[in-house]
Amino acid sequence: MILSFFNGFEIILEEVAIALSPIFIIVCLFQKFVFHLEREEFANIVKGYFLTFIGIALFLQGVYGAFIPIGQKIGAALGALSHNWILIPVGLLMGFVVILAEPTVRVLNEQVEKASGGYIPQKIMLYSISMGVALSVALAMVRILYGIPLVYILIPGYLLAFFLMQYTNETFIAVAFDSGGVATGPMTVSLIMAMAIGAAIGIEGRDPVQEGFGLIALVTVVPILTVLTLGFLYDRLYKDLEDDDEVLPSESGND
Amino acid sequence: MGSIKELLLEVLYSVIPITLVILLIQVLMKFPWADVAQFLLGSLFVGAGLFLFFLGTNIGVVPIGEMIGDYLPKTGKIGRVLLIGGLLGFAITVAEPDVQILATQVDQVSNGAVPKIILILAVAFGVAFFIALALFRLIKDIPIKYVLMGSYVTVFTLAFFTPSSFVPVALDSGGVTTGPIVVPFIVALGVGVASGFGGRRSSFGFVGLASVGPILAVMLLGVMFGR
Repeated sequence: MILSFFNGFEIILEEVAIALSPIFIIVCLFQKFVFHLEREEFANIVKGYFLTFIGIALFLQGVYGAFIPIGQKIGAALGALSHNWILIPVGLLMGFVVILAEPTVRVLNEQVEKASGGYIPQKIMLYSISMGVALSVALAMVRILYGIPLVYILIPGYLLAFFLMQYTNETFIAVAFDSGGVATGPMTVSLIMAMAIGAAIGIEGRDPVQEGFGLIALVTVVPILTVLTLGFLYDRLYKDLEDDDEVLPSESGND
Repeated sequence: MGSIKELLLEVLYSVIPITLVILLIQVLMKFPWADVAQFLLGSLFVGAGLFLFFLGTNIGVVPIGEMIGDYLPKTGKIGRVLLIGGLLGFAITVAEPDVQILATQVDQVSNGAVPKIILILAVAFGVAFFIALALFRLIKDIPIKYVLMGSYVTVFTLAFFTPSSFVPVALDSGGVTTGPIVVPFIVALGVGVASGFGGRRSSFGFVGLASVGPILAVMLLGVMFGR
């Protein structure tokens, strides 16, 4: 069992080397024809690609050798229980734990704080996104348990997004859609997705291709709606403040 | 060196809590110890791998994205900017481990009906096309609202013509694309290009648009090859 963990490492090394070669070739061409960086500086870049290569290979080995098989096993075992609704709170917990630790979410929170001139503090963003993502992982489990088609959830979600977009400014719209991707980091894509697929395999009458996938799409739409809603509220609040500002000068003029 | 410590903490934060949750489930459900050990070993590999990977991306991938982003507006020809941008989008998506993980699981679950390489190529073409579109939008200063609404209306229209087994995979591939190597690279690229055009235009929205391309590409794949 443990020994089988290392099976296929040479295949992974080969695959990662192939995957990284296009971008590496482009970088070399740019160096030769455009950048002409100092040798030392370019050596540093090459070192970066080498570390990336080793890092991705180890990461994928861990994912293929353990996260996917164990994730699927756990999902299937939970799905086969007579109380398989337990998948819903487990999904909620896993979504919450993963998103709190997601470094890109912190970057996003800073962006939103900046875009709102400090009116939307990072804490509010962190709490709303974390709750949103936890709920959407739980929703993905509900979908698997009851076999609800993905578009039944996503179309209303995006329609709501379109509606909010009409009342939100460009910066918030752009940040909102950028944030859709940040919630789905490497842990969600490997471990939580494998668990969902396992659950779809474990529950009788579910098609793992139909119901096992779709979790990432659900996790993507939540931050979009969260940021748009905050932007929508912020615009209302900000406009009120602007109106106050127009009143203020005359008042301060009296001082 | 402070940044290396920060990076290490970041990786530990993202790996340890979820690992503990999984271990707890394994113990509660009385999984065999061999499984628990296998998972622990995997977490070790994932943690070490992510650390080296993020470190390498900071040293090698992000600076290049910035440099090319600075260079592109100087070429002055829109066609060339879009072509190079698309090419870079393709190359960086092929390298994205999150895309590989999705493609591997799709290959496995569909019993090889959707081969790994085909899905990766479709996703990469989708990103390439939409990076070019995002650059075009930036240069021509088209409001992002219209581009996004147009894109998503196309997505959900196409969804009705796509074999239903392809729809969830297609929609997932949008979120998966924006992983730990693609995001920092295209953000760096977008910031460079945006600042080349007077700096007033913002590079926000690059990532959001990049994730629509793969959805459309995989749906088209389904229309062509699906049952």
